[in-house]
Formats: sequence, C-alpha cells, structure tokens
Amino acid sequence: MMTDPAHVHSIADQPTAAAPPVVDVRDLRVHFKVHRGLLGSQLVKAVDGVSFAIAAGETLGLAGESGSGKSTVARTLVRINRPTEGSILLSGAETARLSGQDLRAYRRRMQMVYQDPYDSLDPKMTIKDAIGEGLTVRGVPRARRKSEVEELLARVNLPVALAGRYPGQLSGGQRQRVSIARALAVSPEVIVCDEAVAALDVSIRAQVLNLLKDIQADARVSYLFISHDLSTLRFMADRIAIMYVGRLVEYGTSEQVFSEPAHPYTQALMAAVPDIASLGGPRPAPLPGEPPNPASPPAGCAFHPRCPLAVELCRTVAPPLVRKATGQLAACHVVPDAPEVA
Amino acid sequence: MDLVADVITVEHLTVAFPAREGTGEVVRDVSLAIGAGERVGLVGESGSGKSLTARAIMRLIPQPGRVTNGAVLFDGAELGAKSAPTKWRGTKIAMITQDPLSSLNPLVKIGTQITEMLRYHRRLGRAEARGKAEELLRSVGIPDPRRTMTRYPAVLSGGMRQRVALAIAISCEPRLLIADEPTTALDVTVQAQVLTLLERMTAEHGSAVLLISHDLGVVGNFCDRLLVMYAGRIVESGPTATVIGAPAHPYTRALLSSIPSLRGDLPDRLASIPGSPPHGGGQGGGCAFAPRCPLAREVCRQTDPALLNISDLRTVPGDSHQAACHALGDENWNQAA
Repeated sequence: MMTDPAHVHSIADQPTAAAPPVVDVRDLRVHFKVHRGLLGSQLVKAVDGVSFAIAAGETLGLAGESGSGKSTVARTLVRINRPTEGSILLSGAETARLSGQDLRAYRRRMQMVYQDPYDSLDPKMTIKDAIGEGLTVRGVPRARRKSEVEELLARVNLPVALAGRYPGQLSGGQRQRVSIARALAVSPEVIVCDEAVAALDVSIRAQVLNLLKDIQADARVSYLFISHDLSTLRFMADRIAIMYVGRLVEYGTSEQVFSEPAHPYTQALMAAVPDIASLGGPRPAPLPGEPPNPASPPAGCAFHPRCPLAVELCRTVAPPLVRKATGQLAACHVVPDAPEVA
Repeated sequence: MDLVADVITVEHLTVAFPAREGTGEVVRDVSLAIGAGERVGLVGESGSGKSLTARAIMRLIPQPGRVTNGAVLFDGAELGAKSAPTKWRGTKIAMITQDPLSSLNPLVKIGTQITEMLRYHRRLGRAEARGKAEELLRSVGIPDPRRTMTRYPAVLSGGMRQRVALAIAISCEPRLLIADEPTTALDVTVQAQVLTLLERMTAEHGSAVLLISHDLGVVGNFCDRLLVMYAGRIVESGPTATVIGAPAHPYTRALLSSIPSLRGDLPDRLASIPGSPPHGGGQGGGCAFAPRCPLAREVCRQTDPALLNISDLRTVPGDSHQAACHALGDENWNQAA
C-alpha cells in the first residue's frame, strides 16, 4: 500500500524550529525474506511505510507490542538492518544507501544503547577500553584518552575507580551507565535507546532516566527512545509514535497522545497499564486477542480483529495516517479527522 | 493469630547460601499468612529474596541453598520433611513461573501434560481426563482446545503458554497458587488478559494467591495485601491501599515516587534512590536499606529494626500495617539527625 506523499510531508514539517530535523525518516520499509524449507520463502514486512522526524535535543518515544517492528526501526536506524525502501535523512543528508567509509562515519553520529548491557559490552574488555574504543574512533590522541575516559565516567556518575574493572564485576545499573558512556564517547547526534531501562531494577531505572535527560540537556543529543512502558515514555518523550504490525497508528506530541489518545489501539494500550495512580478504580476489560504475526497480518487495518470500533471498511482498506480532530496523526477510519484547513 | 483460617503460614523463614563473606542469608526471618481466597502480593527488586521465599514454600530451594530456620504450615500443619512433596505439590499448592517454556516439557504435547495431572492426581480415566482438559483449556480462553492439545509448547505464543500453565496449575483446584512474575515476559495487553484470568480462575476455585512481582502497579492492582521485601527481609506489609496510599517505610516511599505514571503531574526529574540494592542478602549489622536511606542515622547502621505494627494494635492481625524502620513513631527523627 502506498503512503500518500502529502502525509509524509506533513510529518517532516512537524518540528516547528527553523532548523531541519536531525533525523527525518520517510516512508521507511524493511522487509525480510524468511525461508520456510520446501514451502519456499515468505516476505515479512517488519516495517512497512514508517515516517517520523526528531529535532535536535528532542526525544521521540516509540511504543508497541512485540512484533510491532519497533526494534527493527531502531536497528535500521543504526544500520544493523538495511532499509528496503524509503529514506533516512540525517541533518538533511540522505543516508539510507551509504556503505563503506561513509557508513562508518554515519554510525559515529548515530549510536545505540541496548536493553541488556551484558550482551552489548565485551566481557573481556575493561571499562576503560570499552569506552576508549569510541575515543579512538573519534581520533582522540592516546595521551588524552585517560582523562577523557575519566570525564565520560564522571558524566554518567560512575566512580573513576571502576575504569579497570570488567563488565561482569559491575551491577546492571552500572553496566548500563557504561553503555551510555560508550555511546557518548563518539559525540553522536542521535542515541537510539532500545528498551534501555527495561532490564534494570525499579530503584535504578529512575537514576538512569534522569541521567539520560541530563545528558540531553547538556549535549543537545536527540533520542529515539523505544519502550513498551508507556509511563516511562510519558516521562521521557516530547513526541510519541505508536506502532502496530509494521506501521505507525498514532503520532503526535506527548501531550496530545497522553491526554487524548486517538487510535483505539493507543487507548487500549494505556488502559492495560497497571498504573498505581489508578488504584482501586474499575479495571477496564482487557483488549482481546494478541498482536498478529507480522508474516501474515490481517487485511485492511491490521488492528481490526481486536478493535472495539471496527466497521466493515476496516476489514478491507488500511486507513491512512492523517490528522485527527485532537491534533495528532492517527490511522483509523472511525476516529473523526481534523476539519480541512483552507 | 487465627491459624485455622489461613491456608498457608510461613514463620520466621530463613534461607541461606554458603557465602565467603557475610551470613549468606538471602531470605531472613520472613513470616506471612494467606487466608483462603486471599490475594497477597510479594514485591521486591532482583535479589530481594521474593522468588526464594516462594521456592522455600514449594521446597524447591536450589542447591547449595537451604532453609536454616523457620517453618511452613499448610492448613495449620507443618509441611515437614516427613510429607513427600509429591503429596501436595501441584495438587494443594501449585505454581506458575515467568516463562512457562521452562516449566512445560518441550517434548510433550500440551494435551498430555494436562491429562497427566488429571490422571495421576485426580485419578480420572483417559477419556474423562481428555474431556476435562479440553474444558480447562477453554476456560482459560484458548480458542481451539482440541487442536491446541495436539501441539507442543514451543509453537504457542507467550500469552497462550501462560494460559496453558495456568490451566495445568488450577487443574487440581489447589488451595494456594503461587504466581512468580507470571506476566513479566508478556505484552502489556496480554498481561491484562492473564491477570484478569488469574483473578477469575482463583476466585472460582477459592484458591489463595501469592503473586510475586517487581512491578508495584501489577501487585497493586491485583492484590488485597502487599508485602514489600528488601535484601531478604519484609520491610513493610499491609492492605494494598494503605501500603501504596500511605507507605511507612522509606524504601516503599522512595520506590513509589521513583515510578513514572500515566496520570497526574509530570515531574522534570524522577525522585531516585541512590546506590543499588545489595545482592546476597544483608551484610549483618544494621538495616540493609541504611546505605541508601535519606533518613538513616547511626542507630540504623548498628541494629536491624524489628517489623512493628503501625496501626492500632486492636485491629485484626490480617489487616495490620507493619514496617521495619527505626524512624517510625519518632516525630523528632528528622530534627535530631
């Protein structure tokens, strides 16, 4: 299905600052060929026409259930996966087809922090070497490396004494701080955080979230912050994108999406969060069913089999992502559109 | 205490692992009681001892750990070394875990795993067991039970697997169901389904529930009563609304204010607890939370505070609100620091 170019354009326009957005993703598609033995192969459209933009010093929160494609978006942004179609503009320059030397330079500007730092840090490398690698890439002279490592450790609130330790000797929270320091070592413009606090203890999460905010205020770095936890996104993000089976179903400012969620899926996601603030109140009936297999999504609107509002049209025609009366973009036939502006 | 009404009573339970330093006590002096049909939440961070408390009840403490003190009473009688666990495990006390893929046998079809329970424990015939299994699977919301019974655990989604685990757990109508992080691996919408199901199924059978989670929102929305664990000890317990609405222990207070919410004012920064939780239980001596506590004073570093009743002593024990903190009841605590 084609995305109307007008909508792609309207998304790119969103950050109101005069400067172009740091990241401008337009109609991104990432398709995988999955081999199924004798049955031949099947095309999985993990990401299928996603557009968003992130301004300097801003955070875009991306949420969705497993199989929604949110991690594929993250991995494509840092080019672990190759985009099948669409464009990824970094500070206005096309990067989707980069390779070789140019791709390496690009990766320096776009860093990623993973869910489990135990997997992403080399267990046989000391903390100072892990962070130092980034400094080498940036071309920091050997003589200044030690002081820069110490500076980075201080920036993520870790004692300098940890520099000689190995990842296995640190706690989960400390390891995640090391991954952040490591990402910062190359002075990136964008950091993609894929469930960066999900594996941390509750009492450590707040520390790391505060730290990420401090770093952003300091360095004006932009975040693509991916989380299944909507309350964390409300705290972190300026803008919110909600994904369902490879597409955005809602996209707007944090304020718009959290105060008046437009898409029935967003509403259901929010209702399902066991929030301590809504304790004792009546619990809404849970959304039925499970997210569909991205290899064989339902026809029409992928959400229609679980949707309480679904009408006949939803079964056959995928709704476009358009501006709704509440101000944000949403892809739903039933929710009223914003009145046409002359 | 009225023991007869309680399905399970844990008294002064201590579990220890051999340790190079410290006592190695990962569960320390834990006492709790759960009445018939009651839902109790045990909440704590990793390493707080919440899962080991559950495993001690099930007598599934991994080697080389062992219960060094305390007793577990079931219906008022001790589940001592003399009663073989197979006499009650699965039938009177059942358990579901975070990932049913590890508790279900990957090489055995779903149907066989359920009918096995019914035939072995409830002595049903083959055909009868199949019928009952189908009924159970349907009651936990599995759309095509007959087909699902012919499949293997690995082909089911996480939510479906947890439903199967729940069906097996309740197949013998246990008096107590222990659910250890049952929804942690699930999507939030599926989590809501499983919790609603857990609530309905246990209410139908009158089973008591011990729900273990790191997520205060999950236990807060599901349980009648909460127990908060830190470094192997229960530091606060009481009715859910009291513990969340008027937390008494500084740890509970700090934990609650460090969680972002979907509603209410949006803070610029989250209140955070400095440091990280100790692993391997308390190091002996004072209150385990003292190194991270904003209220800590010398006495906290010297002696471990006892778990004391906060509410009026005349209230019934089941509803009492307790916390272990030296600062409790001392109105001049902050000034005198």
